[in-house]
Parts: sequence; structure tokens; C-alpha cells
Amino acid sequence: MKITPRKLVLEASPYLFILPFVIFCLILLLYPVVYSLALSFREATVETFVSGEMPFNGLTQYQAALADPIFWRALTNTLLFAFFSILFQFTIGFLLALLFQADFPWKNFCLAALLVPWVSPILTAANIFKGLFNEVGPINRLAQLIGLGPFPWLADPSYALPATIVANIWIGFPFNFILLYAGMRSIPEDVYEAAKIDGAGFWQRVGFITLPMLKPVTVAVLMLGTIYTVKVFDIVWIMTGGGPANGTHLLSTYAYQVGFSVLNFGEAAAIATLLVLLVLLLNLVQFLLQRGR
Amino acid sequence: MNSIPGRWWLTAVVVIVTAVLLSPFYWVLVGSFMTPAELFGVNQSFWPRNFVVENWSKALERLWPHVRNSLLISTATSIGTLLITAPAAYGLVWKKPIGRNALSSFMLLTQMLPGIVFVIPLFIVFSKINLVNTMFGLILADMTFTVPFALIMLSAYMKELPYELVEAALVDGAGPFRAFLSVVLPITLPGLVTVGIFSFLMPWGDLLFALSLITESSLQPLTLELYKAFGQYGIDWGFLLPGSVLTAIPALIFVVLASRFIVAGVTRGAVK
Repeated sequence: MKITPRKLVLEASPYLFILPFVIFCLILLLYPVVYSLALSFREATVETFVSGEMPFNGLTQYQAALADPIFWRALTNTLLFAFFSILFQFTIGFLLALLFQADFPWKNFCLAALLVPWVSPILTAANIFKGLFNEVGPINRLAQLIGLGPFPWLADPSYALPATIVANIWIGFPFNFILLYAGMRSIPEDVYEAAKIDGAGFWQRVGFITLPMLKPVTVAVLMLGTIYTVKVFDIVWIMTGGGPANGTHLLSTYAYQVGFSVLNFGEAAAIATLLVLLVLLLNLVQFLLQRGR
Repeated sequence: MNSIPGRWWLTAVVVIVTAVLLSPFYWVLVGSFMTPAELFGVNQSFWPRNFVVENWSKALERLWPHVRNSLLISTATSIGTLLITAPAAYGLVWKKPIGRNALSSFMLLTQMLPGIVFVIPLFIVFSKINLVNTMFGLILADMTFTVPFALIMLSAYMKELPYELVEAALVDGAGPFRAFLSVVLPITLPGLVTVGIFSFLMPWGDLLFALSLITESSLQPLTLELYKAFGQYGIDWGFLLPGSVLTAIPALIFVVLASRFIVAGVTRGAVK
């Protein structure tokens, strides 16, 4: 076969198409990730950062992080934050998706409106809930109307963490909703019809048809939800800044504080690495659970 | 469909549920026209007693230069992302070059990484090469978020491309780049628009990268100026609430114009 210039261009073109992307990946994705990992084994504090040495000192950063009670608090908070966020986001999203399987007037309008919390910037949502959970804000007023509270929402860690979770549920439920909604729509009609003829009621159809047939979508939604929730930074940073008394830190906000407030970049990188390991571990667990079933 | 019979009460239920779920947004909307005294006073109202338009005019005046910064940063990020990912997604899906699987796995991995993994090294490296406190540096940082996402979504669109059309163009003597420009891009336009909008909205709402990389006030995006409402001595609600609504406006326009496409795009990118 003769190699013509034209044929050469044709064969080489896919590589030319992906070349800018590959260069971007190497410089701005792979290099920072490797750098961050390497940094976690180095002493990178104010002094060494200015002098530019950043000497290797093994696992010192990891030991320092693991010896700090705030780290364990942040780890527990991250797990609680993720678990309750996903539980409620999924439940609300699932019930809404069921509701929207019916046809009714204003359906498309309501569907679009329900996407607002999700597409809005997280900053907007965090600011809103900072106001709603204000000591003299609307939520405490409503609570007082029914004879409860006022609660020290953002002033006490045991109330502040749930408050940030509520904000995160609000941001994330539409994502669960549209994915589950689309998943339910793709279940063939005749399966339901057959069940109806056999006398299955509405909730029986949900339990024996919708849930099992929705499993691939459910798995995708839960995995994506875990990834996004464990990464959350803005909500907690804006609503509580990790306080009061470092009681509401997530691993992400704690790593940021150690890096950019304490200026200990080495330890911050170590915490960030541990956070990545947590994300990978949670995904592995979900993957195995889904396989085992 | 497993539908519940009975129409009128269902609409009522959905409208009530939607209203409850959107009430936080209602609060920020009407609250942006209230004085702090009315907002957090003893008699909280659900409608402003007298509309304090000054909240908005002051906020707009203060935020306008930063809105311009954000527009520039987001537009550049969006265009840059498309320029890099559109040819790449096409090249990867079309000819399946060597290393394709490694690249795809790496994209999925970067989606899992928290921003903090990028922001620390980028801050240190950008400090050394004088990219801290530049728009270009922030745009590059924002692209570490948008590029993997855009590539994953665009690959899904490229998989549905009718490749006979590309082959036909090539047989007719068009070069591979010509075929890409005049056949591939027009067909995938809906996908490019959707991904372009997402790549615009992500940097628009970004706080983490801006907070770490931009300290020069005149370069700060909208989100960072708004973040200053959290002062040492309390929160400037009269500035924070209209600013929060303003920050959400591009996303709101997007929802109004394209809710149908979002549903299609998200389900396509996530499930496939």
C-alpha cells in the first residue's frame, strides 16, 4: 500500500485533535495532582516556602494530621454530612420523580423551577441558608410559632452541622430528581400494565417494578452523589467557616484552613490526600455492595 | 409510566411541594428589598412593607466592575474549554487512538478529586511563575474543573454522531480538519452549546480558586466581592442578598431557556 501525504494526515489527525487536550492534562491536571501528593511528604511551611527548599520529611505531615483531634472531627463530619445529605437528597428526589410520572398542568414549569437550587451558584444557596438559619431568622421564627426554639443554629456545632446539611440537601435534590425522573420514564409501560392486571397496587408497583428496574440509575446517582458531597467546600466555608471552635469542619475546609490560614501547605496536602483516599474508598465500597447484591 | 390517577389534586400537591422547596429562593428575592430590621425583626413579613430599592442600586454599583471580571473569566473559560475538548472528544471517539482508555479513566478520576487537591499546588506553582493575581491564572485554574467535565459530556454527544457523513466528506476530498469544522461541529452544536453554558456557569460561581489565587481587588470576580459582605463585625445583609440574587441570574436565564436540554444532557452524560 502506498503512503500518500493525504493518508498520513488522515492517520495522524486524531492525535492532532487530542494534542492540546493531552498537553492540558499533563500540565494542569496530572502535574498538580502529583505535586500535591509529593508535597504531602515535604515540609512546606511559611519558612521553607519562602526559601523554596521544602525538604522531604517522610510521613511527618500525615502523623501530625492524624494526631490532631480536629482531623478526626472533620472526618466524622464529612461522613455524617455525606450520609445524611445523600439520604435526604435521594428520598426527596425519588418521591418527586414518582409524582412527576403523572401528567398534569404546569408540569414543565414546575420541573424547570425545581432545577433552580441546583443550577444556582453554591455561593447563593450558602448565603440564603446563612440568613434562614440566623438566630433571629425565618426558621427560628417559624419554630417559635409552633412553640419550639429558638435554636442556636450556627452558634453551636451540634446544630450548625445539620444546618449545613439542610443547605446541601437543598442544592442537591434536583440532581437526584431529574436523573431518577428520566430513569423512571424509560421503564416500559407494559410492565406496569401487566402488574395492574395482576392486581398490584400503586406502592406494590413502585416496590416490585420501579425500584428494581431503576437500579442502574440509582447506582449512578448514589455514586455521583457521594463524589460531589464528599468534595463540598463552599457551603460550610460560607455558613460556618468550620466553626464554632472548629466543630463543623469537613476535610475539605479543614485542609484549606491548614493550607491558607495556618500556611502549612505540606500538612494541608496530606489532609487532601487522605480526603482523596476516602473518596476512592467510599466508591469502592459502593461498587462492591452493588456487585455483591 | 406508573402514574397516579386523579389530576386536579395532583397538580395541587405538586404546586405546594414546589412552592415549599423553592421558598428559600423566595426569601432571598423579597429579602433583597428589605431593610435588615425588617428582615430579622420581630414581625417578619412575607412581602416587603416598603421596597428598599437602594439595596439593589448600591449593590449593583459596587458589584458592576466585578460582574465584568466574572463575565470575562467565565467567557474565556468556556471558550477555552470548548477549544480543547471539542476536537479531543471527536478524536477520541472517532479513531479510538492509543491511550484512549487511560485518558478516559484519568478524566473520571479527576472528577473525583476535590478542589483542594488542585488549589494548593496551583497556588504554589503560580506564585513562582507570577500567575497569581492574573485573570489568565484563574482561567487556567477554572479549566481544571471544566475540561474533564466537558470531555466526558462531549464524548457522549460524539458517540451519536453519524460518522457516514464524516466519511462522505473525506471521500469527497475534504481534509480531516475541514471535515471537523464543516460537518462535525454543526451537527454537535446542541451539545457544544450545553457544555459551553455549563463551562460558563462553573467559573461564574467559583469561590475556592478565586479566594486562593486573586487578592488584587480590581481583578476579583463577583463571588469574591460578595464574600466580603461577611465582615469582621457582622454581615452586610443589604448588600449580600441582592448580590446573591445577581450571582444566580445567569443560571436562572439558563433554566428558563433550556430546562428541556438540561434534563436530556445531564441524563446522557451521567448514565451512559
